[in-house]
This record gives sequence, C-alpha cells and structure tokens, in this order.
Amino acid sequence: MKSTNERVIIQVVIATGISSVVTQLLTIREFLTQFQGNEIVIALILFNWLILGGIGTLLARIITHRLWKATITRLGWLSLFLSAFSALQILAVRGLRDVVFLHGSSVGFYPTWLYTFFIITPYCLLLGFVLPYSLFVLRNETLDYPGARIYITDNIGDISGGALFSFALVYLVTPLQAIFLAHLPLLVATYLLFLGKRRHRPIVFVGLGLVIAVLVAGIFFEKASLKPSEGKLVYYRETRYGRIAVHQDREQFTLFEDGIPVFSNQNISIAEETIHYPLAQLDDVEHILLVSAEGGVMEELQKYALRSVDYVELDPEVTSVQFRFGMIKEIPGLQVIHQDGRAFLANSKKIYDAIIVNLPEPETFQINRFYTDRFFELAKDHLSKNGVLSFSMQGFQNYLAEPQRQKFSSLYNTVSAYFKYVILLPGQKVFFLCSNRPMNTDIPAALASKGISTGYISGFYYGNLTPERIKRLNQRIDPSTPTNLDNSPYLIRVMFSQWFSKYQTSPLGFIIAIVALIFIYLFRISREEFVLFSTGCMTMGSEILVIFAFQIFFGYIYLQIGIIITVFLAGLLPGAWFGNKLCRQGKQVLALTDGLLVVLLGIFIFALDKGGDRLPVLFFLIFGLVVSLACGFQFPVALHLRGSDNVAATRTFSADLIGAACGTLFTSVVLIPYFGIIWAAIGLIALKLISLMLIGTHKNPILT
Amino acid sequence: MKKISRRQFLYGSAAVLSTTIPSQTFWPSAPKPCQSALAEDIRGKVFKGDGPKELWKWSHEGFLYKRLSNQKVVCGICPNRCVLAPGDRSVCRSKVNINGALYSLTYGNPCSVNTDPIEKKPLFHFKPRTKAFSLATTGCNFRCLNCQNYEISQAKPHEVWNYELFPPDAVKEAQRAGADSIAYTYSEPITFFEYMIDTCRLAKEKGIYNVLVSNAYINRKPLLELCKVLDGASLNLKSYSDAIYRKLNGGRLKPVLNTFKTLHEKGIHFEIINLVVPDYVDDDEMVKQMCGWMLENLGPDYPLHFLRFFPRYKLDRLPPTPISTLTRFRKLAMQEGIHYVYIGNVPNHEGMNTYCHNCKKLLIARMGYFIPQYNLNANRCKFCDTAIPGVWNEA
Repeated sequence: MKSTNERVIIQVVIATGISSVVTQLLTIREFLTQFQGNEIVIALILFNWLILGGIGTLLARIITHRLWKATITRLGWLSLFLSAFSALQILAVRGLRDVVFLHGSSVGFYPTWLYTFFIITPYCLLLGFVLPYSLFVLRNETLDYPGARIYITDNIGDISGGALFSFALVYLVTPLQAIFLAHLPLLVATYLLFLGKRRHRPIVFVGLGLVIAVLVAGIFFEKASLKPSEGKLVYYRETRYGRIAVHQDREQFTLFEDGIPVFSNQNISIAEETIHYPLAQLDDVEHILLVSAEGGVMEELQKYALRSVDYVELDPEVTSVQFRFGMIKEIPGLQVIHQDGRAFLANSKKIYDAIIVNLPEPETFQINRFYTDRFFELAKDHLSKNGVLSFSMQGFQNYLAEPQRQKFSSLYNTVSAYFKYVILLPGQKVFFLCSNRPMNTDIPAALASKGISTGYISGFYYGNLTPERIKRLNQRIDPSTPTNLDNSPYLIRVMFSQWFSKYQTSPLGFIIAIVALIFIYLFRISREEFVLFSTGCMTMGSEILVIFAFQIFFGYIYLQIGIIITVFLAGLLPGAWFGNKLCRQGKQVLALTDGLLVVLLGIFIFALDKGGDRLPVLFFLIFGLVVSLACGFQFPVALHLRGSDNVAATRTFSADLIGAACGTLFTSVVLIPYFGIIWAAIGLIALKLISLMLIGTHKNPILT
Repeated sequence: MKKISRRQFLYGSAAVLSTTIPSQTFWPSAPKPCQSALAEDIRGKVFKGDGPKELWKWSHEGFLYKRLSNQKVVCGICPNRCVLAPGDRSVCRSKVNINGALYSLTYGNPCSVNTDPIEKKPLFHFKPRTKAFSLATTGCNFRCLNCQNYEISQAKPHEVWNYELFPPDAVKEAQRAGADSIAYTYSEPITFFEYMIDTCRLAKEKGIYNVLVSNAYINRKPLLELCKVLDGASLNLKSYSDAIYRKLNGGRLKPVLNTFKTLHEKGIHFEIINLVVPDYVDDDEMVKQMCGWMLENLGPDYPLHFLRFFPRYKLDRLPPTPISTLTRFRKLAMQEGIHYVYIGNVPNHEGMNTYCHNCKKLLIARMGYFIPQYNLNANRCKFCDTAIPGVWNEA
C-alpha cells in the first residue's frame, strides 16, 4: 500500500508534468512571436528545452549526492519556484526582448539561440532537476523505488498537459491565464506535500501566497506586456494557430500575426499588384480563388465583373479581424471559407479563372506545401483553360542575390512543369504568373484596355517594372536548380541559406560544437543509454515526419494534428507499464523493440511511397501510437538493465531527453530539408540499427 | 507563533522579490523603445585580415589616403577613417590595404545597372521627366537596419555578380540608354568614390549630368573634389538625432550635416530625404529641430522629402508609417518655413506635387513617375514668375 508521502509526491510529479507541457507549448509560441517562425527557430527552441532538461536531470544526481540531500520539504519549495518561474518566463520572453534587442528589429541565428537558451534556463534546469529529485525523495523511504514508475507518472502528467492545452486552454484563455490554470494542480499538490510539516506552515503560506500572487499578477500584466510602443493594441487574440494582434497608430490599423506586421489598411499598392497582375491577363474573369488575402484586395477585385470570389483562410480570427478593421471588405459574390487552402482545393471540384495565393515565404513545412509540385498540379486542375495561377515571394530592389535567385529558380522550375508560360514580375514582391496561354507584361496597357483605373500601377509600373528589369530577372532563372517537391522540400533549404545570409552568419560553429558535444556524450554513455538516446531521437524524428507527411496529404487540420501529437505521448504510458512488467527479460526485449522500431519506420516509408494521399488518417495515428509504445516500453527495460540506482535513473532520464533534442533538431533542420522525407526516415532507421547492433554485440552478463 | 528561521526568511524574501520583476519590466516610466536596447551603436568594424592577397582587374588605388607606420594606411574618404593594416578590409567592405597601399576593389565593376526615372531617386527639382542611368557597386559605410539594398550594400565585391563597366563604358551606356544623367546610387556611392569621380569627369565632358544618391557620410576634402563635377544630389538625413544614427544606421549625424553645408556653400542642388521610421523618427519636436537647422544653415529652398517607412531587412517588426503622420510632418515643415516639402512612398498623395512657394499654385502634378501637368517656364513659375530652386529643363 502506498504511503501518504508517496501518494503526494506522485501527485506532484503528475501536476509538474501537466504544468510543464503547458508552459513548454506556451513558451514556444511566445518565442515564435518574438522571433522568426522558421523551422530552424522552432527546432532550436525545442532543442534548448530538451537539452536543458537533460542537463537539469544530470545535475540532480550531482547536487543531491554531494550537496543537497533530497527531502520532501525541498521538493515542495522547488515545485513552488517552478510554478513562479513559469509565469516569469513568459513575461521575460516578452519584456526583455526590447531590452536586449532593438525594438522592431529581427535578429539572426546566434542571438535567437542565446536569448531562448538563457531565458528558459532557470525553468528548464529546475524542471529537469525536479523529476529525478522526486525519485530520490521517494527512495529515502523506499530504497528500491522503481525509477520507471516516476517515468510513467511523469508521462501521465505530460499527456494530460498536452491534451489540456491543445483541446481546451488554447481555445479558451490567454497564455498567462493558461499558466495560472495549469499550475493550480501543482500548487494544490505542493500544499499537500507540506501538510505533514507543521514546522514550516507560516513560511509555506507566505511562499504559496507569493507564487499565487506571481501567477495572478501575470494575468494582469498580460495586456500590458503586449502593448506596442507605437500606437495602441486594439485587438488581441490567441488562436490555435498563433497570435493575432491589431495595432492602431492614428488612423492606420496594422494586423500582426505572430509579431510580424502582415498588412495595414493603408497599403493599396500591394493590393493592386496582387490582383491586377494576374487578372489583367484574362479576357473574361468570373470565378476567383484567394488563398489568404492582402488588405484592400476586395476593392480591387470589385473593378472586375466577378460572379464568385472564394476566399480561403485557415484561421477564422484573421478574417474576423480583417472585416472588423476595414482591411478587407464584403463584396458581392464573396464566400469566406475557413479551411486549409490545399485541403480545400483537393476536395473541391470548382474551376476558377484565377487562383491567387497570398501566403508568406515558405519558411515552414506548413507553408512550403503551397509551393510544391503537387500543389501546382492541384491548382492547374482547378483552373479554366486560360486560367492564371499567381503567387509571390519577397522582392528585391536592385540586385538579385544568390539565395533569392535559387528560390525563384526552384519555384520557376517546379511550376513550369504544369504551366506552359511562367513570367516573373519584379514589383514590390516578385510575382509569379503561370498560365497555359501567353501573357502580357505591359500591365498598365492591359488595364487601360479594360477600362480599369489604378493608383499605384498606372503611375509607378513603367518606372519600377521596366522591360529591362523584367527581362533581366527572367533571364537569371537557373534551369538546373532542383524543384521543390512535397517529399523533398528544397525551398526550405534555400530559405535557411537566405536567412543566414541576411544576418551574415553561418551555423557552422554551432553545428561543429553540437556534433562535438554529442560525440563526447555518446562516448561517455552506456549501451543502454544509447538505446534510449536513439529511441528518443527516433520518436521525436518520427513525430516530425508524421506531422510533415500528414500536412502534405490532409492539410493543416489543427485537431487531427493535436491528436497525432497526443498519440505520440499516449503510447509512452502503456508502453512503460508493459516494460516494467517485462523488464526482467533483459536484452532480448530491448533488441526486439529496437527491431520493431526499424520495421515500423520501414513500413512507414513503404506506405508513404505506395499509398501517398490514399493513406487513411488512422494509419498515422496507429504508427504514432506504436512508436511511442515501443519508446515507453524501452525505458524501464533499459533502466532495469542499467541497474536502476540513482546514477542510472538520472542518466537514463537524460539520455531520453538529449536523444529527443537531437531528433528534433536534426530531423527538421537537416534530414527533411536536405535529404527528403524518405531518406530522413532511412536515417532514423540507420540510427536504430546502430542501437540494435550495440545490443547484439554486448558481452555484459547483465544483458543476457 | 514560532520564530521564522534565517533560511525561511531568505525563501520568503526571494519570493517577494520575484513578484517585483514583472512590475519592474513594465514600469510606466520605462524608457522608450528607441532608448532601451542594449545595442547602443551598430557602427561597422574593420574586417581584420579579410582582404585579398592580390589585386584584381577592378582594383584601383585609393583616391585619398595616408600612409602610416608599419605599412598601415588610413582611408580619407568618409568619416569612418578606417585604419587598415596590410590585409585588412574597410568598414565599407570595398577598400583594402595591399602591401601598404589602399585600393578600391570596385572600380568598373558595378553589380546593379538600371535606367530609372529621375523622380525615383527621388529628385523632384532636377530635370523632371528625364532618365537617370543608375549604377552601384557593393559596399556601404553604414549598417542601416532597414536597408532596401542590403544584398549589395552589405556585401563584398567578390560575393556578387558584377558587370564590367569602366568609366568610358558607363558613359557610353548612359548615352545609349538616352539618359540625361548618371546616378550613383542604390548602395553607397561614397564607397566607390574612385569609380564615381572618374565616371563623373567623363560624363561632364560629354554633357551628362551627375547625380549622387547617398547617405552624405563623406569627408569635406573628397566632397569638394566631387563638387567640381556634381550637378545634383538626393541625400538622406536619416534622423536629426545622433543617438538614432548610431542605433539604426551605424553612423553619426554631424558629418552628414557638414555635407549639406558644403554642398550649399558650393551651390550644388540637393534634396533631403527623411525616412519616417515609426517610434524612432516620427517625432514632431525632431522635425521642428531639423527644419530649424535647415533654415539656419541652408535656407528654405532645398526640397525636403518625408518618406513612408515599410518594414524591411532587419527592421521588419514595425508597422508602416501612418499616412497622416507624413501629412502632419509636411504641414509642420512648411509652417516652419521650408518651401518645398514632399511625401514619398504614398501613391497619389497631394504631397507629391510641387506648388509655387510664392503664389501656391500647382507647378508640377505627379502621378507616380508621370507628370501630367508642368507649369514652369524654365526655372520660373508660370503664374507669378517666381524663381523655383532646382535644376530645370530649358524653356
């Protein structure tokens, strides 16, 4: 029967799991709002989080062993600090940004890495510290308390926290309200932890009160911490997809998505270019599809006799704000569709005269799907015979730099497989016009013949888009640049180099340092730890692969992706339970699960290759569940083989975390962009085969 | 009640202090964002040992430099006054010290060549409706966070794709393009001074005007030399604050102001460009001070352009400037006494037109780069015969 202490500590561990996952998700969202939301930054934040957690775990043993004996009271205080740090961390991400960096400026790779690293260091180290510390406290009473049980318990908390955030909090509350709510169970559990310690009661009340004060203060500071220094914040919402804010500066309203000014109600020139460059090419235009929209486009569309305008926008909050602040207006025939643009096209039979894509640069896997072979094919299938597809990329003023040339060339080569004529117009952005009939670059003349008047194009086009500028841009397209495929997103790679060249930095130093540290780490860990390292790496890598593939085939569907992420956590718990039961089987079961993971990834590659978009959603869910089952299963087995003492427990916990960190970073930043989805999966298989080989060649009797 | 131990007191105190952290961060008296970042000065640094070992085809000995001891040299073109040891590269990335002599690496190898309307520079009082043959090499002595041409201004000559266009060829190309002027523009022409001045001299001989589009960060001596062949300039006054110059642009204010004074003294027509960056440069007081300085040192006749800011390059997390701010600044500057104040980057704004400062009638209507109405007789207002400052077409 469990003692009271054990029960309360278990409650603390579960509550820590809940609060930490919510804090992690919110912190990532905060950082993405403060910095560039590309795949490198996303991976970097997760990497920092997991690595610091791993270091915290390793520190727990050293500190507890040499300096600081594990006690219930100390665990209670640590939990209170953890709670307070979470809110302070979110506020620090927001508040210190303009202190460290220049207001309104974006920063490159190393400043992002250092800022994210130092801001989350206190919380993550403490978080990593608390889990093994809880185990050590339990082992004060029960010497051989199984480490795997703590792992299982933590998983219960993680799963609950993930589900709580993804399916409830994100819809209902603001970040600091979510932090407050997610920490209530931890505060209650911590209070219960102190209940038996009457001696500490006054100071405990003070401590608890202060932590609650910090969490509540966070809620009150929520809006103040988001207030822009120029103008005022007139609208703010957290949605499933990110942060929407509208800043008002005098008569101008600017929509910010994740901290980036997307458009204002005073920018007619981009709206004119977006609409008239493609529509000027058409003799008769009736049906238009807009995939996302620029402010002011509806006024421009109204200049044509249109029968229908389908406007697809993923986030309903975005359209709501656009209409509310006059950035987009209602026009006859307008139908607003809240869906992933690609998923909408895949399921629609409607034929359009023009499809106008107004999405940001392909910096993430999610956005990149709108610039790939399959998307262009999909667009072509939904266009009338002479229809036009138009999309745009960030422009250049007077010189086409090499990364941009590669980007334009890759896009040109990809889209020209589906359209006979593709021209690039170097306006304020570079506009790609794609059609199966010849097109005209004299846009003002084409508009004049239609009797359409414009403010910007009529006055500035001939000076800004001179024939020599248009010709020179189109001549610099390199036909040998690789195409951008769904399965091998070349553009993500180009976007990385564009990002690095913008800040004139190279990630080489970071890569060398990380690889060196990983090698040093790998040479110092045991085989069992390597198994867990590789499993952590493979699980996170597989999760990224699955989300990537799922988005390609089904579009960005928030709930289903949320379920996939939950499934990747949900298998850990039953897996660990089974592992705990079967851990005495030793090496054989470890090898068997390693083999299973290899086979699973093999099946995944085969299914993707042969099934593609015919694969049911269930396939991805089952795959995720079985991978996480195997991962969860291996932990107690490896821990048992490793000896299960305090040293073993901390080292196995950290091997799992460090492996997950590496899996995240390398899969999204190296494997998928540089080798494509299939080779990324093969890379993960290779890692697991090394692990299998290590188990197979082990002579240690404990493994037999 | 039990006494609280020292340790318990420390715990409690730490918790109390932790609650004060957020309130400190967002304290009402917190400094303005333009004053708060740790980065006070983004001025560039010399690239140590970064220069090439040998000269290349487009190397040309520096126009103005001094030899120091130990084969070091100091460049005399701009106020950065880079001191370069052998093998070093200047702040602007275009000059190197090879074996104790200073060389420009951009002589005759522009990376961007276009023919633009003169109004695009912007120059509104300089030969309207004409074309400017525009060229640029890599390099800049500033580090502006909102640079529109960072691909070339923040690049080294060998990092970009270049044309070969030595001064005689540049002049021929300008003639072939039917341009009335050659504009040294886009990146920072002061960094390719040697190439610019030789081209200017040849262009002058052929009756082609020379136009400088620049940040005005140049020393007096080379500027005086340039003035001998220069006809007009579009110069940035990025803000009237040395702190903002250092923070957003990586330069200093005073040398820029000195350039205006020198050009005024030499009778060169120039127009002043002020990009209104929200939260940094959108300050009524600063505009008043700037206009006050202009009136005192230059008089009321040099056109002043307020340009609308759009998020660019590294300064991409600010909103565009509200149009009403620009309108207000225009009004303010005119009230202060500046005769010709324009608004840029806002299509079809009234502030793009030229009105006679005497009779207030419309002299030049502008629709983008088009001029549908032109009411000047040579340099005089058609309505009241007032002389309008600038370099105008013959009657």
